[in-house]
Amino acid sequence: MPALSGKKSLHIESSGQLCIYCGACVGVCPLNCIYLDETRITFDERICTRCEICVKACPVGAIEIG
Amino acid sequence: MKDLTTDVLVVGAGPAGSMTAKWAAKSGARVLMIEKRQEIGSPVRCGEGMSKDWLKEVGIKPGKWVNVEVEGARIYSPSEKVLEINERNAGNEVGYVVERDGFDKALAIDAANAGVEIRLKTAATQVLREGGRVVGVRAKQFGEPFEIRAPVTIGADGFESQVGRWAGLPTNLTLKDMDSCLQYRMTDVDCDVRYCDFYLGSVAPGGYVWIFPKDTGLANVGIGVQLSKIQGMAEARKYLDAWIAKHPAYSKGKTIDVVGGGVSIAPPIRQAAADGIMLVGDAARMIDPLTGGGIANGCIAGKICGEVAAEAALAKTPTKEFFQKYEKGWRGRLEEKLYRNWLAKEKLCSLSDETFDKVVDALEGVKLEKLSVHNILKAVHTKYPEITREFESFL
Repeated sequence: MPALSGKKSLHIESSGQLCIYCGACVGVCPLNCIYLDETRITFDERICTRCEICVKACPVGAIEIG
Repeated sequence: MKDLTTDVLVVGAGPAGSMTAKWAAKSGARVLMIEKRQEIGSPVRCGEGMSKDWLKEVGIKPGKWVNVEVEGARIYSPSEKVLEINERNAGNEVGYVVERDGFDKALAIDAANAGVEIRLKTAATQVLREGGRVVGVRAKQFGEPFEIRAPVTIGADGFESQVGRWAGLPTNLTLKDMDSCLQYRMTDVDCDVRYCDFYLGSVAPGGYVWIFPKDTGLANVGIGVQLSKIQGMAEARKYLDAWIAKHPAYSKGKTIDVVGGGVSIAPPIRQAAADGIMLVGDAARMIDPLTGGGIANGCIAGKICGEVAAEAALAKTPTKEFFQKYEKGWRGRLEEKLYRNWLAKEKLCSLSDETFDKVVDALEGVKLEKLSVHNILKAVHTKYPEITREFESFL
């Protein structure tokens, strides 16, 4: 997903290489814009403010902000 | 898919959901419980240790889901001085390490036997509202959209609860209110099946490392770290791996399962119910902020929630005012302890490793009659009143 101008890019590795689908990012997102669908995690690029709480919450480092 | 109506709709089939559903059905309501996953209880997101003195209160009988009955706990300070509390001799009930997926299924079976209808692969996608009141949810079963209408909807959808947020209830967490957790189930380890072990201090900032034995040579080795105390990515994994590397009893073990998750360590929420809706369990942030344990509180509140839900549905009074009965019930039973343990957690998170060592050292000779957080805090209070000053009125 392309980054909107002025926003850093956020990437959730949810193909299973890192992500364990635990939902920690979903529960902590203050804007409720991360979605867990059993083995798929997506987020709403338009709503996300890159607050980076999910980056800290992820126990395995599957969320990266650049 | 045909739209459905029921008296009480429970979203989420974990322990709190099943307990709520069961007691609502036993109280005479038609109950539907939906679960987005394809298997109740799986994948496990839990350390699997729990106390047992509350089981009778909510009508749960121990079953095949018990792995190990432990005799006590050992609390390790940063320099690994140990406070050992063994209760077997005192004849007290301590706790179990459980097979959580089996436990969840057993509770769902109890609910089903009480008359609850259960649908898997069924996710709520939004709450339905009429005049500001929640009147059910929009859902998808095997991808097919439909509506479920109910005078009472229960959000038992766990840590990542959507139902509470959609309904506008105050479940948001700050960095201070959450631990990021990771656990390995390890075999070929040198664990002691008599004890649950807890390692405190900078090995796990704002949390602890736990060893919960599941069998001889098999244990859950896990960690929680508080978000406000960590910086980068994958901190839970880094701290856990570092701890294991330093402990030969575990570093030679082999991991057969990886479990992760978020645990709320927040003070009790201000509001757990609104018109047409109540939250219960992790969704209502009922996890003990000091221990991170959520099963007991979720089940205790679930029983109260189920009884109130049935009463409200049958009397056609599913209002926020009526649900004060639930608020009063669960708060009366749990709130003071939740608040005290939140204060204690805030304090303990601020202690240095040196202080943890001193406290555990000082407690070594103290005889604790019963293993409970309350008793440990009371013992700390006698030795180090400055640590417990902020919450001494709760001790």
